Amino acid sequence: MSLRRTPLSKQHIELGAKMVDFAGWEMPIQYSSIITEHNAVRKAAGIFDVSHMGQIFVRGPDAVKFLSYITTWNMERQKDGDCRYCHILNENGHIIDDTILYTINANEYLLVPNASKISEIRDWLLNNSNDFDVTIEDLSDTYFCLALQGPEAPRLLGQHLNTSVNSFQLKTLNEVIVSGTGYTGELGCEIIGPLDQIEFHWEALVDMGAIPIGLGARDTLRLEKGYLLSGQDFKGMETTLETNYAWVIDWDHEFIGREALISQKQTKYPKLSGILLEDRGVLRPGCSVYYNNNKISELTSGSLSPTLRKGIGLSYIDLAIGSKITIVVRGKHLNGRVVRTPFL
Amino acid sequence: MSEVPDNLSYTKDHEWMLIDDDGKVRVGITDYAQDALSDVVFMELPEIGSKFSEGDVMAVAESVKAASDIYAPVSGEIVEVNDKLEESPELINESPYEFGWMVVMISDNKLKNTLDSESYRKLID
Repeated sequence: MSLRRTPLSKQHIELGAKMVDFAGWEMPIQYSSIITEHNAVRKAAGIFDVSHMGQIFVRGPDAVKFLSYITTWNMERQKDGDCRYCHILNENGHIIDDTILYTINANEYLLVPNASKISEIRDWLLNNSNDFDVTIEDLSDTYFCLALQGPEAPRLLGQHLNTSVNSFQLKTLNEVIVSGTGYTGELGCEIIGPLDQIEFHWEALVDMGAIPIGLGARDTLRLEKGYLLSGQDFKGMETTLETNYAWVIDWDHEFIGREALISQKQTKYPKLSGILLEDRGVLRPGCSVYYNNNKISELTSGSLSPTLRKGIGLSYIDLAIGSKITIVVRGKHLNGRVVRTPFL
Repeated sequence: MSEVPDNLSYTKDHEWMLIDDDGKVRVGITDYAQDALSDVVFMELPEIGSKFSEGDVMAVAESVKAASDIYAPVSGEIVEVNDKLEESPELINESPYEFGWMVVMISDNKLKNTLDSESYRKLID
């Protein structure tokens, strides 16, 4: 099967991007270097083509009830123009995917599933919608998503579209949705709209000085902030409680997976925790974590924090913050400790 | 285009060697290799006095995305390591042929499987 391409493939390659397979898409992993791009987002503004992400619209009189049932959040609490991060669980409380849910208005919502989960989420929504008066439309193949992130992003957005957005709020402008969201922990926005407009937005923002950022820096940026990566930090068997994201749960409403989470709440279970390497080195997913000479887990994510210049990672463990551990990196035990996320 | 200085010898594994008058071999990785690795963020270097056979893993260069083995280009003993790489591994990217050198070896065999600059250029073309 050949890889899918975003309409910006030509631009990415002309900008010197190294292209890789990501969830069946040919995507830029880096243009110049991961560190340079990472720092550009932390200090100036970067632009990401994340058109591989999905766009599923849910509309109809029961949309709010349906989405409250499907997600960990009670959508009755959302107002027009709100964006909310939440999890979609199965009956066992296991995360199928995480998404931001956009309340365009009380009758129209947008979900943005991860690229590898689009069809699974679409089918999950369809299969659970029988008792609700909703229509579910998957427009992933005809919609783009660009993320403009960094301290300079609001200025560039103002220059480009003469608008601004607050954090976790959205605006619709002509055919595009501009939302104060992202995956980097910086100020900025995401622009979502029909594919034929992608080049207009990309080229204008790049011309204004937004630095193109690949998936490599996207990963280090999100990891420094402790954000979950679908398919890596959760891959079908982890609950919202285990990921340490209890804040995305509104317990006072019925939703798929609630019973399982309530039972789990009474028990002791490992939680996804931050690991900071004290010795020099780079952490990788899969590295073994040891406590008192016993292997207790493996890292789900691991990298080098370009900002801290230290190895950082995530692992499901049941240890207090500050606990001393060792992490096996290429056969050697390196010293580290359990820390709170975000790392910065 | 990657830089390939004419005064160096090369291996198929993208290491360069500079042979001193006294037979010592200074080793690093090529411009092509540093570009492929991208940002080197951590270097694990051998200790002075350790001995390697040609083709042994003698060092590891880690980028944000991956760890890459660096092979001993000749058999011999490590007599110098570039300590600056501990604090500043980015020297490998910034200056692969000068400040980013990795080790100096004393070789107990003649260089065999080495490429000259022209052959190495063809290899990476």
